[in-house]
Amino acid sequence: MVLGLAFLSAGPILATLGISLTSWDLLRAPELVGLDNYARLVDDKRFLMALRNTTFYTAVSVPVGLALSLGLALALNQAIRGISWIRTMYFLPLVTSAIAVGLVWAWIYSPTSGLLNQLLGALGVPAQKWITDPFWAMPSIIAMSIWQGLPANTIIFLAGLQAIPGDYYDAASVDGAGRGGRFRHVTLPLLTPSLFFTGILSLIGSFQVFDQVFVLSRPGRPTDATITMVYFIYENGFRNFKMGYASAASWVLFMIVAVLMFAYFSSQRRWVHYQ
Amino acid sequence: MSPGRPSAPANRPHGRSRSRVVAGRVAAYATLIAGGLLMMIPFLWMLLTSLKTRAEVFGAPPLSLPSGPHWENYERMWNAFGDVTFGTFFLNSLKIASLNTIGELFACSLAAFAFAVIPFRGRRFLFGILMATLIIPFQVVLVPNFVLWRTLPNPFSESGNFIGTQEPLWLGAFLGGAFGIFLLRQFFLAIPTELADAARVDGANPWQVYRYVYLPLARPALATLAIFIFMWSWNDLLIPLIYLRDLDQYTTTVGLAFFQGQFVGKWPEMMAGAMVSLVPMITLFVVAQKYFVRGIALTGLKG
Repeated sequence: MVLGLAFLSAGPILATLGISLTSWDLLRAPELVGLDNYARLVDDKRFLMALRNTTFYTAVSVPVGLALSLGLALALNQAIRGISWIRTMYFLPLVTSAIAVGLVWAWIYSPTSGLLNQLLGALGVPAQKWITDPFWAMPSIIAMSIWQGLPANTIIFLAGLQAIPGDYYDAASVDGAGRGGRFRHVTLPLLTPSLFFTGILSLIGSFQVFDQVFVLSRPGRPTDATITMVYFIYENGFRNFKMGYASAASWVLFMIVAVLMFAYFSSQRRWVHYQ
Repeated sequence: MSPGRPSAPANRPHGRSRSRVVAGRVAAYATLIAGGLLMMIPFLWMLLTSLKTRAEVFGAPPLSLPSGPHWENYERMWNAFGDVTFGTFFLNSLKIASLNTIGELFACSLAAFAFAVIPFRGRRFLFGILMATLIIPFQVVLVPNFVLWRTLPNPFSESGNFIGTQEPLWLGAFLGGAFGIFLLRQFFLAIPTELADAARVDGANPWQVYRYVYLPLARPALATLAIFIFMWSWNDLLIPLIYLRDLDQYTTTVGLAFFQGQFVGKWPEMMAGAMVSLVPMITLFVVAQKYFVRGIALTGLKG
């Protein structure tokens, strides 16, 4: 029974590893090729770009997204009338599909009469091509993702803020702490469990980016400037039917996430304070 | 957590004069509402564009009002593909999301009951493995899953397997999922064991304890889980994209992606499609916001 479940969870991942050692187009029988797929990945410019873009996406969207949602949670943590309606405005992107909101973001970023270019034009800034511009493409995708991911992290931070006992602030005030002092010495340390938690979710999520890239690159496919790891897996496995090659990329993704999570969980002891 | 209750010191007037408190409050409202409107701009623009003519879209200033509600955009979008209307996509999504919800509720509640209530050997170890699978991106196992569905025989489809059918999109839900099991187990653990003991003394078997003690008490947690499963399924793009082949099988997300290829530059029609696909989730959110908020606050569940 125990072995059965272990096999059920580990099975598919080991299957990915097994398939990654083959060359397989689903039509003919898989052919064992050893580590060839991995050797080819290292030389594949598109894969290296996918790796680079995903890393860039993670490095920017995780810290910026967390900082913004922490700020928003602090701002929304107020006892004023109508606060629940105000929160609804901020939380709405939570329930929307990336494809539906991606359509409107594609329109915002449209080089011809898109909202962004029109607003910037009013300020005298020249029009940009955003998604097709190699420099602006990734930041544009990140901006949309942060907008969409903001509510979930904010809700977790709000829950964390509301769990902090008011006495702690009173004690800090008695000891002469000002606003900044109370934030640094009470709020922030007691919020580290929430920060740890949102960090995990954001990190894992950022290695899964697919929908945003898919929808913003339509019609057509992502350029080398916007392709991500999961899109690379999709493209090779389910567009070109190179199952072995896609599996090798999947296994690389798995190893990256596993190592990152191990490092992240190991760091927990040093900076997360539980009450 | 209760969203209406802020931590105590947020607005305590520490010796401030009354007028300054009022001014501060007005500033807080103004900032919060301005920020909220900024967050809402993509939705407002989606709605405005969906009601404009194409000439207005390219001619008038971006946030201007349409010259009248041009509902014909919605009609053109709805009937864009002949026999297969947008309604077909809508019903497909509804069916798949409902089946996922039913399947997950059933399987996860049973598994969570076993993990929380029934002592058995290796329970901790098994639960640990289950939690470990939570942090593995499901995209890592896309290929073996696809191969599995392609290998399983299906007498009802032309290809003889499950590729091009909707079953791969929901059948797995009846085996449960790690998130749902985790959420419900945490909730079940908070239910006093005395209740189960009392039922057992009265002669209830484990099934009856599950059915008549735990399930009724876990209703809020079940509602939370149901809402999230429904939302994930409704919004999912990658899995339907991989398994569905024919237009009449498409979900709204794949349908919208297909629209994008068809309606290049026809923004009003595309925005109309996006609006229609968002209506169910936005309605659900406004009605059941507390379940969303509680679910995320408890477990960090997210799409």
